[in-house]
Amino acid sequence: MPIQTDRSGTPDRALVARMGTGEERALGELYDRHSRMAYALAMTIVGERADADEVVADAFGQAWRTAGQFDPARGSVTAWLATITRTRALDLARARGRRARVLERAAQSGDGLAAPVASVGRAPDRAAEQHEARALVVRSLAELPEPQRRVIELAYFGGLTQTEIAAELSEPLGTIKTRIRAALEKLRGALAPLLSEGEA
Amino acid sequence: MTDHAWRELAGAYALGALEPEEAARFEEHLAGCAACRADVQAFREVAGLIATAAPVATPDPALRDRVMREARQVRPMRRRAPLVPWLAAAASLVLAIGLGVGLQRARHDLAAAQDSLAQQAQLIAVVLSPDAQTVALASKGQPPSVRLFWNPAQHRIVISARNLPPAPAGRTYQLWAIARGQAPVSVGVFNTTPDGRLIAALDVPANLLFQVTAVTEEPAGGSPQPTQTPFLVGELPRSE
Repeated sequence: MPIQTDRSGTPDRALVARMGTGEERALGELYDRHSRMAYALAMTIVGERADADEVVADAFGQAWRTAGQFDPARGSVTAWLATITRTRALDLARARGRRARVLERAAQSGDGLAAPVASVGRAPDRAAEQHEARALVVRSLAELPEPQRRVIELAYFGGLTQTEIAAELSEPLGTIKTRIRAALEKLRGALAPLLSEGEA
Repeated sequence: MTDHAWRELAGAYALGALEPEEAARFEEHLAGCAACRADVQAFREVAGLIATAAPVATPDPALRDRVMREARQVRPMRRRAPLVPWLAAAASLVLAIGLGVGLQRARHDLAAAQDSLAQQAQLIAVVLSPDAQTVALASKGQPPSVRLFWNPAQHRIVISARNLPPAPAGRTYQLWAIARGQAPVSVGVFNTTPDGRLIAALDVPANLLFQVTAVTEEPAGGSPQPTQTPFLVGELPRSE
């Protein structure tokens, strides 16, 4: 699957297996492939570079310590790293007594996010395949009806539950549930090319 | 609830958007429903892809050095929880150091580990699960409990911590081995999970003799020598 391999063709899961045996170079390679994703995710949630550094260092530390427990049958390395990073970032935001950055933006703009969280900005050194995969994700999010995209952003980047989103947006809980379900189903379909090839 | 109704929860669950009670009920259902498990896995992949759409932000190159430096100080746990079988097998050789908890308690823990390896392995998997629920323990007034299991033959210490809140941002915990009359030697840095737990193996320099171990809080990455008074101290039993 394009997003999970680089030109050398070593699958992510092989890197993680090598990390599990204590091979530091494999951690370095994993970092080179995924640190931008992890850092961008952390920045979107915590908003400060020093905090994002903390989150990413902790996340890769946890990935290093627990690489031996990683089970490729349960999902991709990207999803695993994203889960670890997101959890750490939301924990740090809460420990700081702050709401995730995405919510502040929502509050400031009054009636919703000033601009969608997902953006097409380009990192020039990003591997071409990774860039293409990301472009598809950004496009798929952009093609969602705005209310659906907003609930996904509040849930994923804001760490809110459905009930909290309903309160945030002053909308009925049932409406929020329906939107989340519809949005995820659409994304699942739109992103099928990145999902169907399974683990690299 | 009908099967259909359960499956409608899979996406929100994978996104972490269910209320805790609702998530717990769904997890009970998941245990016996392969279709919902497959849905959850697919939606987790979708969530992982959503992460890649965050606005581009490039980490400082120094962050890579920090990650690699910290990794050199903590060895990964071995594959599929052989940690606990190793502990059990080595129980007769292992010297247990009580930090805040007595030797008896440590022995009891080792015996318990022998009795219920499967349970312990499951426990470790739960504790280290990336999406474990976070519970704040710091305010409950429970004292932190840290135990070390040292295997001199393998130059390895396994550290087990409970009720120890993670070090603040930019800080880390550091374990020191101290021989009387000599400067402390760093065994490694570590941090606990948000729920205050940690089980990790640290390598000890070969032939290092020490009688005392101590834990301090240090700047991220650790310090060459302690910069603070240790908040946990433990002495090796004199049986050595």
